[in-house]
This record gives sequence, structure tokens and C-alpha cells, in this order.
Amino acid sequence: MSDGYTILSLDEVEPASHRGSNLIPVRHTLGFRPAGVNAWIADAGGQLIPPHEEDSGNEELYVVARGRATFTVGGETADAPAGTLVFVPPEVMRTAVAAEDGTIVFVAGGSVGEAFNAGGWDSFAIAWTCLEVGRLDEGRAIMDQLIAEKPDYWATSYNAGCWEALAGNADAAFEHLRRAKGLDAEGEAAPYFREDSDLDSLRDDPRFEELLG
Amino acid sequence: MHPTARLGESLEPVPVTFIHFDELDAIEMPDGFVWRPVRRHFGIRAFGVNAYTAGASGQIVEEHTEQINEHEEIYLVLRGRVRFTVGDDEHELGAGQLVFVRDPALRRSGVALTNDAAVLAVGGKPGEAHEISAWEYTFAAGPHLRAGRYDEARRLLHEGLETRPGSAPLLYDLACVEALAGESDKALELLNEAVSADERFRKYAQTDGDFASIRDDPRFPR
Repeated sequence: MSDGYTILSLDEVEPASHRGSNLIPVRHTLGFRPAGVNAWIADAGGQLIPPHEEDSGNEELYVVARGRATFTVGGETADAPAGTLVFVPPEVMRTAVAAEDGTIVFVAGGSVGEAFNAGGWDSFAIAWTCLEVGRLDEGRAIMDQLIAEKPDYWATSYNAGCWEALAGNADAAFEHLRRAKGLDAEGEAAPYFREDSDLDSLRDDPRFEELLG
Repeated sequence: MHPTARLGESLEPVPVTFIHFDELDAIEMPDGFVWRPVRRHFGIRAFGVNAYTAGASGQIVEEHTEQINEHEEIYLVLRGRVRFTVGDDEHELGAGQLVFVRDPALRRSGVALTNDAAVLAVGGKPGEAHEISAWEYTFAAGPHLRAGRYDEARRLLHEGLETRPGSAPLLYDLACVEALAGESDKALELLNEAVSADERFRKYAQTDGDFASIRDDPRFPR
């Protein structure tokens, strides 16, 4: 394999859990930079694409790469055999369910008029899956990489704090959460600090009061 | 043009659309591969995306580099089997397998090993907002040019120039159309504009058969 290119089989990439679906983390695995590219895999009856809308300006193209899917887009449902392309404008609710075992939907997305900037939700899904199965070193390495890539973005440090809280590492969790609070100039994180159940293991710790104060 | 095809540059919201890639326009290129214009069909502007099927020669991905556009590209096999050549290496890939070419300088191509093969290509230049590639307009205009439908070829190339003003390849292609259509003055003006924008077109013009009717004109770039 050369440095200049990579061969990948979608069904050989380990899926990550994300909002009830199985993500094939293509962008993270390849390091592809021009657009958001990922895939979803499910057996018949399983959720392929978590129901969601994209922000204004975000265009997404879904391609049924294998099997058969049932798409629901903006309240309309359509059968989509392999080879179907589905374009969904922003701010329209979309979801898909597999109609055959081993169905794979590939997706590409990006914002019109803007350079693609990976938010890291897909990498975070891998870190989350690592936490669920106890591969803590691997998950922590991804989290550290996300923080290194976006050192000024409060949500990445906040998520790392949640991750460490759930992993039972209160010291590391507080370190991330203090950094998140420091970066959150607009106070966007406040409701999460108050209500997020991921942080429940920290709430009786005196450091949590300090953090909120 | 497929009856449901939309122009890519409309600012109007594009309705939700489903289409199977077999139903997309099939534009057979002189190199033998068949371009299935996905981006253009949906009016996608955020990234480059197209599909390809094989023509009579079996070619499915044109032999090329991405040095001009500096794109990173993914080629995903959607159906059948394809033999990709990337640099000096060969790989046979089936449905659900992809090759990601990170290095724009790497020469890449694909040959269909089964008649039903189809490939999806997704790409763009890292760190920059996507710009629609000039070649899409050249590809779209090509069949009209070869069939002598000069007005339609002109319309598509002008559409490209509205999106990519001053694009040397599009000015050059338009010069070809005008030369073939017998509009010598226009052809010479456009060809000189193309050469001013990119000196490489001076060399291409010397051997391009499309310019036979204007090559002896003193205004022809030497």
C-alpha cells in the first residue's frame, strides 16, 4: 500500500454505535478532508440512518451501496434498492431502515460555499464505542486527537469530560470540564453541565460545585 | 439531458430527489467511459460527486491525475468488478470497496471487469470551499460538439464560464466550438483569451484539428 492512496472495504471497517445506528467511520479511517464521507450498515429492519436534520447550507447525498433501504425524507417514504441516490436538502428530517440484511448506505455531505471542517462527531462515536467495550486506551487516544485538532472548541473538551466521567476517571474528567468551561465564552455549555446524566458520577464531588460556581 | 436534470447553479431550494444511477444521463466520452453526472443532476454545490459506467472499451475511470484541481478523490465501486491502476499498482475491487487517492499527482484509472460495473467518485480540494470543476461543462458539451449541435455546446460552455469566469479550458473549448461553427473572429478572440489565461493552451492549439479553419490566420497564437 502506497502513502498516496488507500484501499478500503466498507464491510471490513469496524462499525461504531451512533444514536441507535451502526456507523462505518469512513472519513476517520481514511483521513479524507474535502467532504464528510461515511457509511451506515444494518440488517433487515434495523435503523441505518438516525433520524436527523442538517443545518442550513448542508447538502447530503445518500447512496445505497449494497442491499435495500427504506428512506423516510420529509414525511415521505420510498423504497431504495442498491444503486439509488438520495439527495436531501438541509433542514429536512431524514432517516432510513434496512430492508435486507447487510445493507450499506454511503453518504457524502458538506456545506455550500465553505471549506469542509470535520466536526468530529464520527470520531467521537468511535471513542464512545471503545468506552462501551472497555477499550479505554484506544478511545482516550481518539479523544486526545480531537482536542489537539480543535483546542479552542469547548464541546470537544466537554465531551472528553463526559467520556472520562463514564470511564470512572474523575480527575481527568474535571480537567477536561474546566477547560471546556474556560473555552465556553458564550455560556452555551451551562445547560449541559446542569442536566447531562453523563456527569452524574461527578455531581457529589466538591469540585463539581466549584466548576459550576 | 435527462428530463429531470437541473442546472447546478440554481439558488432555488432543490426538492428531495431519488434516482437510480442507471436512470442518470449517460454521456459516453471519446475515451470510452460513460459519465453519469450526479452533482449536476441534483445541483449539489458543496462537493464534487459523479458516477461512471463502462463504455464499449471497458474503461470506467478515465486515466488522469488531479494535479490541476488538487482534489482528493474516493472511487467507490457500486456494482460489478473494476480493476483500478493507481500509480504502478493494480487492484481488483468489487461492490462496497473503494480506493481513496490522497495524492493528486498519482495517476489513476479503472477498467470494468464486468459489464454491469458502476463507480461513484467523490472529491474536492481540502481546506477550500468546493468549486464546480470546469471539466463538467466540457464533458456535458462534448456530445453536442461532436454531433454538430453548436448552439447547445455554446450554451453549456457559457454556463460554465458564468460559474468559472476566465477559465482557460472553457475559453479554449468555446474557441473550438466557434472554429468548427465557422465563427473565425470569435474563435480567434477566445483562443487568444485562453492562451493569455494559461500559456499551456498555446501548445495544445498548434496540433488541435478543431482549429484547421483558423490556423493560417495571422491572429492565431504561435
